[in-house]
Amino acid sequence: MDRLVVIGRDELPRKVVLGAGESLRLTVVVPQGVSADIDFTAELTGPGADLDLAGVFVPAGSDTVRIRTLVRHLSGSCRSNQLFRGVADGQSQVSFNGLIYVQRDAQKTEAYQSCNTLLLNEGARVETDPQLEIYADDVVCSHGAAIGYLSEDELFYMRSRGIPFEQARRLQILSFLSPVLSRLPEEYYSLIAF
Amino acid sequence: MDEALKEITSKQYKEGFVTDVEQEYVPKGLSEQIIRQISAIKQEPEWLLEFRLDAFRKWQKMTPPTWGHLDLPEIDFQDIIYYAAPKKDSERPKEIDPALQETFDKLGIPLSEREVLAGVKSKVAVDAVFDSVSVTTTFRKVLAEKGIIFCSFSEAVREHPDLVRKYLATVVPSGDNFYAALNSAVFSDGSFCYIPKGVKCPMDLSSYFRINASGTGQFERTLIVADEGSQVSYMEGCTAPMRDEHQLHAAVVEIIVEAGADVRYSTVQNWYPGDENGRGGILNLVTKRGICRGEGAHLSWTQVETGSAITWKYPSTILKGDNSSSEFYSVALTNNYQQADTGTKMIHLGRGTKSRIVSKGISAGHSQNSYRGLVRMNSGAAGARNYSQCDSLLIGSLCGAHTFPVIQNACPGAIVEHEATTSKISEDQLFYCNQRGIAPEEAVGLIVNGYAKEVLSRLPMEFAVEAQKLLSVSLEGSIG
Repeated sequence: MDRLVVIGRDELPRKVVLGAGESLRLTVVVPQGVSADIDFTAELTGPGADLDLAGVFVPAGSDTVRIRTLVRHLSGSCRSNQLFRGVADGQSQVSFNGLIYVQRDAQKTEAYQSCNTLLLNEGARVETDPQLEIYADDVVCSHGAAIGYLSEDELFYMRSRGIPFEQARRLQILSFLSPVLSRLPEEYYSLIAF
Repeated sequence: MDEALKEITSKQYKEGFVTDVEQEYVPKGLSEQIIRQISAIKQEPEWLLEFRLDAFRKWQKMTPPTWGHLDLPEIDFQDIIYYAAPKKDSERPKEIDPALQETFDKLGIPLSEREVLAGVKSKVAVDAVFDSVSVTTTFRKVLAEKGIIFCSFSEAVREHPDLVRKYLATVVPSGDNFYAALNSAVFSDGSFCYIPKGVKCPMDLSSYFRINASGTGQFERTLIVADEGSQVSYMEGCTAPMRDEHQLHAAVVEIIVEAGADVRYSTVQNWYPGDENGRGGILNLVTKRGICRGEGAHLSWTQVETGSAITWKYPSTILKGDNSSSEFYSVALTNNYQQADTGTKMIHLGRGTKSRIVSKGISAGHSQNSYRGLVRMNSGAAGARNYSQCDSLLIGSLCGAHTFPVIQNACPGAIVEHEATTSKISEDQLFYCNQRGIAPEEAVGLIVNGYAKEVLSRLPMEFAVEAQKLLSVSLEGSIG
């Protein structure tokens, strides 16, 4: 199943349960100007269950984005992937807390999580807590998180080729967000005001 | 493969013997009276007694932290003896008791300078701590010629009170956390080290901690001060006898690194881990923290944690000086019913500060192994960078490996990166080794050592050799 949730427009389920062979591809968009408090739990209860979760957030001004995800691997041979990209501008505050839990005997689990954020302004704050709790040995799990800023070198490269500052910056941000944006139909890009 | 892991070693914890010496104790329990008594035995000045009592009052209002991923048995703080020391021979007060000499010989710790100078043992100055007192500190004269002070904490209080008073509790305040407050109230002995401006310490310094008496706790306090432009490499080792009851070890280590100074702090922690059913073992609840105070200061932590029933330890660095840097390299191995919750904190305050975290966890048996860390970029940390990597290796299906990093960034000019992976020793790796004639148990040792190599290569030579051996020994009886 493929689902798209725009916070402020659609309801995001608090919890989903994926049984044997079920799969869910879920993309969450937090548009600019929307403060979000997301609490999402996924339980993978049968072999072959597959969760593919992605999210994009672009807070500015005094927006607050709080995301908590909990992915529970309760059965073996399941797969989960979480991919989050965000850009924090203005005085916005972002907190991301994602936990992957792998139960004892949930062997052959594959679980990934990645959450990268860019800070655009002095006043913005980002806190990221990616967590792994693993009680089975035959698993492949990884998480990655990074918080950084727009590279001056890239900007210089584009500007030296005649691309104006604003446009170069927009390109940089778009390319950073593209792993998640590529999952959205183009008309949704306007929600992300870059 | 299961067999290989089971067989990998069936060696015993070889440091688990007890030394039979006459010891003097303070009565069991903790009260203002006991603290006054400890302070009196050590003939401490009034200000230090006040410091202890102040910490004790803070501690009484605190509760033990419960956020660790640990199943910590309840500790009865009134059921512990807070001070135990081997009795001095009144006729020869200056000499080391032969029984103690023998103990440290057995542990491979050189207490005699002659052996070291003859080249039998590597050139290291040692401060040997037995229960609550320092037995001896070697090479003090040689070091003193360079202006380096290296002695037990108690001696430092007597001989260099100004220095101790100036730096004590400046990095770990007495009310910092429950166990640090307890330590501040009852600490007995530890090492003190001061490297003057511009001096490069001519040999490695080391402290060796030995718990011997039963029913006691060890509360060591170490203070290292590296003045501007100085350099020192410091090593710490520890062991304890095998007992069925838990013993508490609550230490505080403070390191002050001034501008341009370089401190390397290495630990090989081999406290008694408890037996294969999880009975006994040391509860290792320690607070270690350093501060890079000036421009370009550097502090590096390297730790190999193989012992203790429970480890709760987060060597941390406050990067205050501009362009200062710090590293944390850790290998934590847990087996049987051991639990470890360990990691680091890197607090970036200054501009251009850099830190690097490499943590390798290995869990076997029924053990639980967690990495917990904090990387914080304050708003003034322009150009700061951090890179963290935390890997976990699982051996057997009954253990757990966990990662709990916290990353906070409030500076648009700073970059923080974190990566973590969890995996097991793959059949492919084992097969590859077996096929080339390497026996299964050797192959597991090889793979584990290879996995930890990035950290082990950071240790001073003689420590690295010991650590490698420990890694294979500690996998004893792990069920595949």
